[in-house]
Amino acid sequence: MATETASRGRIPLTLSRTRFAIGAALGRRDGQAVFGSVALAYLLAYLWFSDLLTFGGGVGGGEFGLTVARNPLGRLFQPANSALSFEPVALVEFGVGTYLLSLNTAIGLGIALLVGLNLAVTYVAWRQPKACGIGSSSSGVLAGIPALLSGAACCGPIVLVIFGIQASSAVLTVFEWLIPAAVVLLVGSLLWVGRQVDPALVQT
Amino acid sequence: MERSSRRAFVAAAGVALSGFAGCLGRGQPRGAGGQDGEQATTSEQTTASGPTERGLPLAADRLPVEYDFGTLREEVLSGGPPKDGIPSIDDPKFWSADEADDELRAEDVVFGLVRNGEVRAYPQRILVHHEIVNDVVGDEAVSVTYCPLTGTAMGFQRGETTFGVSGKLLNNNLVMYDRETDSRWPQVLATAISGTFEGESLREFRLVWTRWNRWKEVHPETAILSTDTGHVRNYDNDPYGSYVSNRRGYYGRNSTLFPPLGSDDRLSNKRVVLGARTGSGRIAFRKAALREEGLLSGQVGGTSGTTYLAVYDSTLDTGYVYRNPEGASFSREEGAQGQVVADDGTSYDPADLPLDRVYAFDAMWFAWSGFYPSTALVDPTEEAS
Repeated sequence: MATETASRGRIPLTLSRTRFAIGAALGRRDGQAVFGSVALAYLLAYLWFSDLLTFGGGVGGGEFGLTVARNPLGRLFQPANSALSFEPVALVEFGVGTYLLSLNTAIGLGIALLVGLNLAVTYVAWRQPKACGIGSSSSGVLAGIPALLSGAACCGPIVLVIFGIQASSAVLTVFEWLIPAAVVLLVGSLLWVGRQVDPALVQT
Repeated sequence: MERSSRRAFVAAAGVALSGFAGCLGRGQPRGAGGQDGEQATTSEQTTASGPTERGLPLAADRLPVEYDFGTLREEVLSGGPPKDGIPSIDDPKFWSADEADDELRAEDVVFGLVRNGEVRAYPQRILVHHEIVNDVVGDEAVSVTYCPLTGTAMGFQRGETTFGVSGKLLNNNLVMYDRETDSRWPQVLATAISGTFEGESLREFRLVWTRWNRWKEVHPETAILSTDTGHVRNYDNDPYGSYVSNRRGYYGRNSTLFPPLGSDDRLSNKRVVLGARTGSGRIAFRKAALREEGLLSGQVGGTSGTTYLAVYDSTLDTGYVYRNPEGASFSREEGAQGQVVADDGTSYDPADLPLDRVYAFDAMWFAWSGFYPSTALVDPTEEAS
């Protein structure tokens, strides 16, 4: 171990092991299942917290349809309610709810993939007792929480509106950094977990 | 519940002599009294006209402002969205009343407007996502504006420019900007606090905060703003809560989203008042009390001050405020549609009393009292307790 670290350097080793751990996790059916289900659940939660995905309500109720904004390409990169929030370009009504398509779906998907990878790698490592010393499975989930809170109403973060918490300039500044913070935490968490996986001890 | 029993009412006898809450020393308005020139007898009243500069029609006098502009600018904070992050509707499309019946619930809040004979309504659940509609009504360029955090709907003449949402808030209230000079206009003040137009006031006119079924009954010919706004939003979803059928979420909770400009515990924060700001003083009638009593009277400026009369309109669930310097007495007519009867037996529509009507609008109490801490509050329920 010490020899390996010394010979290859800490960062390349971490990257190499993480790459291996990801490959190992996604090469197994249970790993794939964890990755897919966690990523999907996180994406849905992100969209719901951001008010981009809603269920129930509405006058018509149960309608199906697609509404596209005027000049959708021009609006795609137009900032909306908060930092890293973009103007919706299409509204999908699917009977029991509605979905607003915007660049935030891509952002949410990217974060969801990171959360999924975190959990899949952690799960595979947990299922391999020989790779002991693996990080807690909660780290990947916790790292994804900041982005969940980043959704904004027309004025102010949605989570503050829901819970009746009074905002301030400082609080709003924190909210501006939730998505970047989540990405940094998730990448860090993934590397931290991946670094502890010894390829020699893991069965794929 | 609406009450139609005949209730003898002598305006002068029921005057609520509410004291000034102070804070006037923080800044005096220049030529306060923007509403003084009003000869308002119809729902189309507008602030007295002043000059038109750079295409923007201005009021003849500055509206009352109880703080100096420097203080107000320091209190402006970001609401989160960037400039135009909340997009105004600049090319509005409209439904007929029949079409709107398929899209709106009967109890949905709408902001009604009658302008040069043209009748329109703007659903709250659309405006909550846009806050400003730059429209042309009755051949006149207007901006219909709504701030969800302060519960205020106000109309302005916009001339050759349009207004947008700056993303800034003052006292939780929408700060608009004009696209000609980028001057900043807090909606409730209707007066620019920075930019080329600093110190100037807009020409404002009344929007009626009512419900779709009530508006349609009075104005079946109305057009109503449609969801074809050019943007896509989930217009069935109000991110702050709901007004249907009871106030929920932010609208019903006492807390504000951002720190208010002041604190006045005469009423809880989200109580709705019908407020009027005139050169002689600021006065607010608690709307639920007005609904209950039908007529309320209050005075600003001490015992020798000016008396104002508020009249409830049961057909639209709204109210109107009149200057009543002679203390004329009126009563509610039994069994009628909210008609008001003068001493000589003449019956009047609540919107058409033979007095000078002043511009008044609904607002959440914290917003109104924050901007106008000197307000005389008329709330007989509070006085009785």
